[in-house]
Amino acid sequence: MAGLLAILLAVALGCALVLRFANLTSLQPRWAAALVIFGSGTALGIGLTSILFLVALLLIPGLPSLAMWVEIAVLAWISYDLYRRRNSAPTSESRSQFPWNLALMAALALAMALVIGAMSVAWENNPQGNWDAWAIWNLRARFLAAGGSLAHRAWSPMLGFTHPEYPLLTSAFVARAWTYGYTLSAAVPIAVSCLFFLALISLATGGMAAWHSRPLGLLLGLSLAATPTLVHVVPDQYADVPLACYFTGALMLALLERPVLAGLLAGLAAWTKDEGLLFAAIFLAAATIFRRQQFLRLLAGSALGGGVAILFKTILARGNASLLGASLPLLGHHLSDPSRYRQVIVAMGAQFTGMASGWYHPILPALALAIALRFDVQRRRDVLFCSTVALLLFGGYFFVYIITPNDLTWQLQTSLSRLYVQIWPVVLLAIWTALRSPESTAIVQVGTAKARKKAKA
Amino acid sequence: MAKVEKPRVEYPLATQTGVLGAAVLALWGVLGYFGSEGSYQEQNRDPFQIAAQSARLEGFREAVAEDAILGYLTDAAPGSEVSDSMFMAAQYTLAPRLVVKETNDKKTNYQQVLGNFTRPADFAEIGRQHGLSLQRDFGNGVVLYRSDAR
Repeated sequence: MAGLLAILLAVALGCALVLRFANLTSLQPRWAAALVIFGSGTALGIGLTSILFLVALLLIPGLPSLAMWVEIAVLAWISYDLYRRRNSAPTSESRSQFPWNLALMAALALAMALVIGAMSVAWENNPQGNWDAWAIWNLRARFLAAGGSLAHRAWSPMLGFTHPEYPLLTSAFVARAWTYGYTLSAAVPIAVSCLFFLALISLATGGMAAWHSRPLGLLLGLSLAATPTLVHVVPDQYADVPLACYFTGALMLALLERPVLAGLLAGLAAWTKDEGLLFAAIFLAAATIFRRQQFLRLLAGSALGGGVAILFKTILARGNASLLGASLPLLGHHLSDPSRYRQVIVAMGAQFTGMASGWYHPILPALALAIALRFDVQRRRDVLFCSTVALLLFGGYFFVYIITPNDLTWQLQTSLSRLYVQIWPVVLLAIWTALRSPESTAIVQVGTAKARKKAKA
Repeated sequence: MAKVEKPRVEYPLATQTGVLGAAVLALWGVLGYFGSEGSYQEQNRDPFQIAAQSARLEGFREAVAEDAILGYLTDAAPGSEVSDSMFMAAQYTLAPRLVVKETNDKKTNYQQVLGNFTRPADFAEIGRQHGLSLQRDFGNGVVLYRSDAR
């Protein structure tokens, strides 16, 4: 219970920070603003408190709870400041409402209830999660929670099979909750993985509803909740769903013109997993072309998480071999081997078709909308921004497989499905940015009763 | 003066079909997941037996100091899934104690060694072959060795 309270503290702190500094209450409709505040606040709060916990652990190892008191003090100050600045509710929305919004909300609520219900069976049967959870992420959390010099074991080169060079966002956050709650309860990593899933759905739904179209936002959330490979991996307690949350959040907040917050989430993606470093680089590179006016603020935002990830890899975990470093001796041979390209393309294609569950494939809702609504050419720059990030990320993953020093078949079998979990929300977001909104297809008839009768006659 | 009515908003059939179709398809996907996930999880209850490993290693965990770095000895076939899952489960259960798989299995660099065996055997004799003396047998194939070299 105390561990869960520590998680709530981080979520509250993150939500308070975005409420105070990101001006998200101005988004319309208000339910979408609330979802974006919850989603971005959760992702930000978890990321920032994981960094604060690790820094405090390294600098003042004798006071493991110091960071908690700092968090409480900052939360109290921001809460007071928000209370002082409270103002009247923003004016109500004037846009015409799509008539099925309430029904779509009910469908999303039902979908989330069913998905969480199914996950609870997994939590009951496998509270420790799947292989990588206890062999990598939660194992390293146990070292960090031990505190003192034992915490350094989380990145010790002696951890041979455990990727001690991986970034520490999820491990440090789980360790933080365990430390503050004086527990090693399995409920903590379970709650963290569930929160990241909820944050992902909230950011996608609320962000799309506020940026483009309410029904499209609700349908995006519904489509993500209906992605079997994504929801299946949530109880595994891996870092792929958190990563997907940071990817989606960074793109969505960039579209919503909140560049500092978008940059912060992109940086925190780098602090979550190695693929996040690739994403942050691609995200910033794409921003130099498609979002030039935001670039410096995106860069400033991403400096925190990205900087911590780079410092961790170059200073703390420098004794550990990286995938890129280990790839170098065979780089030329692997790059010039056509069979590897063929194998990766076939595996990627098979993985895409393998995302289906029975007759259902998660691309089907997107196809239905694309056929019925068609595409909107007015938002070309935004569409290109999201599509470029998705394509380059996909290309980056492709080349990592080409150059991997590990057995390619094993590598594809053990990781490809999870890479699709990371990238799928980005792909759907890119498709959704291109869709014409249902509201824009409305036929509005204005006139007098007399004129209408005349027209009918 | 003519009375102006509230504007009437209508949506083309294509829009209605698309939105309804996408929502129904997505709900179909969710229902499919809901139906299959429960039985999948029931069939894959703790596949690596982490709960059982934790209980098996409990006595060892209590007997060894938290800051210990332990060598590792097992009879599981090297590189097999059983061997890897036994080692990783032991590492997870015993953390923050560090368990190290050594490349030279005839000689350990560590004062204390975890013996993690799949079947009953003469653990003292196995230890002697590796320069280790049996310090304590916790049952269920879990033993603590001490290196004779130090």
